[in-house]
Amino acid sequence: MSKKTKSKRFKFPEETSVIFALILLVGIVGSMRPTFLKPENLLNLAASYSISALLAGCIVYLLSMGEIDLSFGWILNLSAVVAGLAMIAGIPVWISILLGIVAGGIMGAINGALAVVMRLPLIIVTLGTASIFQGISLISNKSGSVVPTDEKLRANIFFRALGGEIDTPIPFILIFVVFSFFVLHFTLHKTRFGYRVLAIGSNPEAARLAGIPTKRIKILACTLMGVVSGIGGVLFLGFRGAVDPSTGANLLLPVVAAAIIGGTPLSGGAGTVWGSLVGALIVGVIGVGIVFLGIDAVWSTLVTGLVIIFAIGVDQIVRVRKNRIS
Amino acid sequence: MIKEIRKSRWMALALTAAMVVTASGVATPAQAAPKKLTIGFVVHVIGNPFINQIIEAAKMAAKDLNVTIKVTGPAGAEGDAQLTAVQNMAASGVDGIATSVPAASMVNGLNAIIKAGTPIVQFNGLGVGVNAPYVGEKSVESGRLLGKMVLDKIGGKSAKGDVIVGNCYPGFPVLENRQKGVLESLKKAPGVKIVGPSDVKVDSAANFAAWQGLLAANPKALAMVGLCAPDVESIGKVNAAVPGSKTIGGGYDLTTGNLAALANGTAHISLGQTPFLQGYLPVYVLVDSIRSKTKINFSGFLNSGTEIVTPTSVIEPFKSAPLTFKQLQAMSASNKLTRAYYDKLVKTYVKDWRKNLAPIAEESA
Repeated sequence: MSKKTKSKRFKFPEETSVIFALILLVGIVGSMRPTFLKPENLLNLAASYSISALLAGCIVYLLSMGEIDLSFGWILNLSAVVAGLAMIAGIPVWISILLGIVAGGIMGAINGALAVVMRLPLIIVTLGTASIFQGISLISNKSGSVVPTDEKLRANIFFRALGGEIDTPIPFILIFVVFSFFVLHFTLHKTRFGYRVLAIGSNPEAARLAGIPTKRIKILACTLMGVVSGIGGVLFLGFRGAVDPSTGANLLLPVVAAAIIGGTPLSGGAGTVWGSLVGALIVGVIGVGIVFLGIDAVWSTLVTGLVIIFAIGVDQIVRVRKNRIS
Repeated sequence: MIKEIRKSRWMALALTAAMVVTASGVATPAQAAPKKLTIGFVVHVIGNPFINQIIEAAKMAAKDLNVTIKVTGPAGAEGDAQLTAVQNMAASGVDGIATSVPAASMVNGLNAIIKAGTPIVQFNGLGVGVNAPYVGEKSVESGRLLGKMVLDKIGGKSAKGDVIVGNCYPGFPVLENRQKGVLESLKKAPGVKIVGPSDVKVDSAANFAAWQGLLAANPKALAMVGLCAPDVESIGKVNAAVPGSKTIGGGYDLTTGNLAALANGTAHISLGQTPFLQGYLPVYVLVDSIRSKTKINFSGFLNSGTEIVTPTSVIEPFKSAPLTFKQLQAMSASNKLTRAYYDKLVKTYVKDWRKNLAPIAEESA
């Protein structure tokens, strides 16, 4: 009887706790600096962190498999360089964009293939490929920035829409990223590929014995990470109008942090795409909050770390209590 | 059980609130004053000794001009993270922003902020195309000077042998300009073979390891030339570890560690770029233009000058008062001495910044 009662009880989605932490942070910063809550501020904040959010949404796949990719920042960089150089060379903008995304996919597939062939964890393989992709990027752009400055290029709707020259109530990049999250969520939780990813992360040996082609799925997941990083690269190029040798260098920590804060465990077997979006927003709110509250630069790194630990703590307390009830 | 959950949620809420409130307590104290100007100061990396000298000078300007200053920047140098910090500053309602611009991808974003009405001054790293004045050294020219001084030390145009060149941040425009100048001067000696430029990394430990490896691979090198703040100190330590080393060490910036390397004879030349001016002048220009309601949404160059320092001499720019090496060392560790020394410059060069504003092309001339 009591079991029946429990099953009928409304269940909050698993992202509830992390959404609670986000609302809490926004509320606290907003109550102390009301200008923070201006809609345009919040939208610009979300737009600024949208590319790292997109990557966080995709790295959930790899974390769910118990793997981690260290090279996606440099895949993003090199994809943007490929697209940018193609545009400068006179290749039509949309074909250049496609080239950048395909380049990202190839780099991701190389990561996956190397991990499978060498029978090594992805983290070790990508430790090496990250440097390779960075090196190729530096050689390709002669260690300088890639800036498509031609007026005809800048007039293309790709640059105008992403660069904010076309007025939309919500930044275009944000609309695109939210749409991508629907696709990523659907693919992880509603398709055979997604179930297989989660099954491999839950128990790789059992997945193999159940007939899941684990090697192929691993390569596909890495390719997906590459494609999404490539999309991130071309979005960056359109959003900022240039790509620098350092672009993507510092993405690893905020992206992985966003996925973990969002509720995806490092141990694999589970993952929440929407949680990673909220996690990315938490990372963003902390960054913006530090500036709005006027916290001195010397203190900001410490405060960032403390607030991240605390956000995870709030999430964990709520999660553990929820599990105890069920 | 439900009560316990509620209790733990409320506890979590209260603790988070307490943490953020406590954190906000370290905000600069004067920000509550309604009519006082607030200037945002965004650097490209936090925790670098040279950048700290710039930050300290900016704070001195804020104190002198009675404005509030908010300092921020990413922990690792990366353009997008820095642009986000600048955008956050603008959104928080500061009256003006001074920022270094290490990346071309920041240009459009900065121009959008300027267009929306927040004045910006650039310092230390120049963003080509940003509609704002820039305070910094003449980067190619200072490279030429360093190259020439190193060449003079190793035998002039008749020198023969290897010279190692290291760049801690390939692609950073100002460093690329310095590199261009250094190579230009060194190429005047046909017998000199350039080794590099190699990536010697920014982090001090990695920087030391890179220089150590480079000297081990080229033990007969005549000179090691770095382009960034950590290089002179690293080169000094590498030289010190090789008994009887005669390799000349040269580079940039007058941090305490670099001056110590010059003082003990393990490094030989370091060029400064007057960090005091790079921190003080942007804040002064912003405050002065905001108070006088002058628009500064155009490019322009304010030279921060080049300081030439060897163990035996110190030459400061703008005909500043003579300085001994020991006085310079004392200044590098004291804000009070630094402010006192540059007082004359504040009353002349800084005050007359409009007269000294040159076309931006002069920066890389």
